[in-house]
Amino acid sequence: MASPLKRLVTDTGPMGSSIRIPVGSIATALYVAFICLPILALLVRALSQEVALASLLNDNVLQALWLSLFTSTISMVVVVVVGTPFALSLARSSSAVMRVVDQIVELPIILPPVVAGVAMLLAFGRQGILGPPLAHLGISLPFTTMAVIFAQIFVAAPFYIRSAKLGFMAVPREYEAISQTLGLSPWRTFLKLTLPMATPSLLTGLALAWARALSEFGATIMFAGNLMGETQTMPLAIMTAMETSLESAIALSVILLALALLVLGALGLISRYRWREST
Amino acid sequence: MSSAQGESSSFRSSGWVRYQIGQFNLEAQWEVEPGQLLTLFGPSGAGKTTLLRAIAGLLQPLEGHIEIGGRPVYDGVTSIFVPPHLRRAGLLTQGYHLFPHLTVAGNIGYGLIDWTPEGRRRRLAELVEMFQLGELVNRRPHQISGGQQQRAALARALAPMPALMLLDEPFNSLDIELRRTLRSELRTRLREAGVPAIMVTHDIEEAISMADTVQVINKGKLEAAGAPLEVLGQPGHGRVARLVGVENLLSLVITSLHPQDGTMVCAVPSGSLQLEVPLSDVASSSRVTVGVRASDIILSDTEPRGSSARNRLPGVVSAIELRPPGYQVTLACGDVDLKCHITGTSLNEMCIATGDNLWAVFKASSCFLVSDEE
Repeated sequence: MASPLKRLVTDTGPMGSSIRIPVGSIATALYVAFICLPILALLVRALSQEVALASLLNDNVLQALWLSLFTSTISMVVVVVVGTPFALSLARSSSAVMRVVDQIVELPIILPPVVAGVAMLLAFGRQGILGPPLAHLGISLPFTTMAVIFAQIFVAAPFYIRSAKLGFMAVPREYEAISQTLGLSPWRTFLKLTLPMATPSLLTGLALAWARALSEFGATIMFAGNLMGETQTMPLAIMTAMETSLESAIALSVILLALALLVLGALGLISRYRWREST
Repeated sequence: MSSAQGESSSFRSSGWVRYQIGQFNLEAQWEVEPGQLLTLFGPSGAGKTTLLRAIAGLLQPLEGHIEIGGRPVYDGVTSIFVPPHLRRAGLLTQGYHLFPHLTVAGNIGYGLIDWTPEGRRRRLAELVEMFQLGELVNRRPHQISGGQQQRAALARALAPMPALMLLDEPFNSLDIELRRTLRSELRTRLREAGVPAIMVTHDIEEAISMADTVQVINKGKLEAAGAPLEVLGQPGHGRVARLVGVENLLSLVITSLHPQDGTMVCAVPSGSLQLEVPLSDVASSSRVTVGVRASDIILSDTEPRGSSARNRLPGVVSAIELRPPGYQVTLACGDVDLKCHITGTSLNEMCIATGDNLWAVFKASSCFLVSDEE
């Protein structure tokens, strides 16, 4: 018969792998419940009270909703227009300077949004570094809709840039060389080849950034304040509503949730498109 | 660009370049006529791919002059540098690099962006027909086989009517069987298209069966050039012989000349082995290196009397190795080991085993003198 040591060794193999399965399923179940329970609670509560549904048509709500959509759309236009060429040069450069820049891009992701808001106030605020020259030009940023957009770009842009950079990096240079030998200039090669090949990554990044911009709260309240119709976006409106009526807070939350789910749905469609590409 | 439609490239492409990366120095010179194929043969790292990329305009040489389809596209002195997309040089890479986001038809039509819709449709139909890609046009590159990918990539490269085709080891990612079939197919298509082509390879069989001319390149330098069989079949240069992989290189001393037969006799210094080789312009008793291809040697289990072959050497089988598609038998003939290539069928029929006594038979004309490098 086998020695005790050998038995121990042969026994741990299958045991180790059989243990992992229940642990894995328990972890999965726990996590799914942890994520879904609050969302379910919100939906159940919202559907059970007619008051909340009625308050959906409230003026304040429509104003906040419009402001959120408007500011996040402008932010995303800026992020895409500036972020795409920037991401391309990040993907294509191997210089030491660009490696440092690459690290700087990630900074807003690790920075707490509230801290970002304070920092932006110190840079662009009336007392800030750029305050006097901006005031000289008759521009005052803090507590304006523009400030909301600034805050959203600051926190959301890294998600797009990071994803776009990875997308561009995944396009082999050899393809671009081939495209040029087929008669397409570098610019047309970018439009006809590099951009279409990176599009799934760009869209994924855009969805992530958009969701992040929609949910922006900390930096906005510090840098832009909470002025109804001007800087009060959906997340701020929810917090304000919470102080007076839980019902309207719930209603607003459901709307924001719907918007977020819309983004998630778009993300799902894209990844399915991507999956079909790669199989 | 619509003037390029239907225009065939009836000009030759030629040039020379010097290129340097660090210690590596590449010097090359070439000339290809329409419909002809020039093969650059050499080990990996010899600078062949670098040269192709320089011709395509993907690299800028140190100096040189490049003409494609009779038009100068690079000149180091007058600082002409035509960018790759205006050079009309098609490139077929090792991995084919079909664009994954496009169908086969999308790939082939990719370079026809400036053609009229009608012209594009006609050209596409023509190429699909020529390359028998009919039922594959709507597939994605990953859904078709390696051989089909090669055909699609070649069709894509030929679509915009290039004035020169550059082929970078186009058979590398295919298995041996498929290589043989596709070789003649590729050669035929290029001839039909009437495009001058430069192909890079490190496969001697490929070089011999496809090329009109061969250049042997090693470490960035041209070692030999000429007709494929002359250069690679009986390479007269020590380095080239070694690059090509001539299996038997024997160091011999000339013992007698026989001008009436056009031969001379050489022997190993100890005198245990004698060979008759083609007469050459060297003095008696001088040292020579003689090359014999393993595939030119016949093995016989009895002394082949009444044979016209001048060289008949007895020996003992010292090793048998698998060397696809056949076997390599090493025969110890005195001080010399002779390597012979035979098929598996011959090996089985003759029941060859190590220790057997066999005769190696080959004609004097199968031997060639290899001049040793200085």
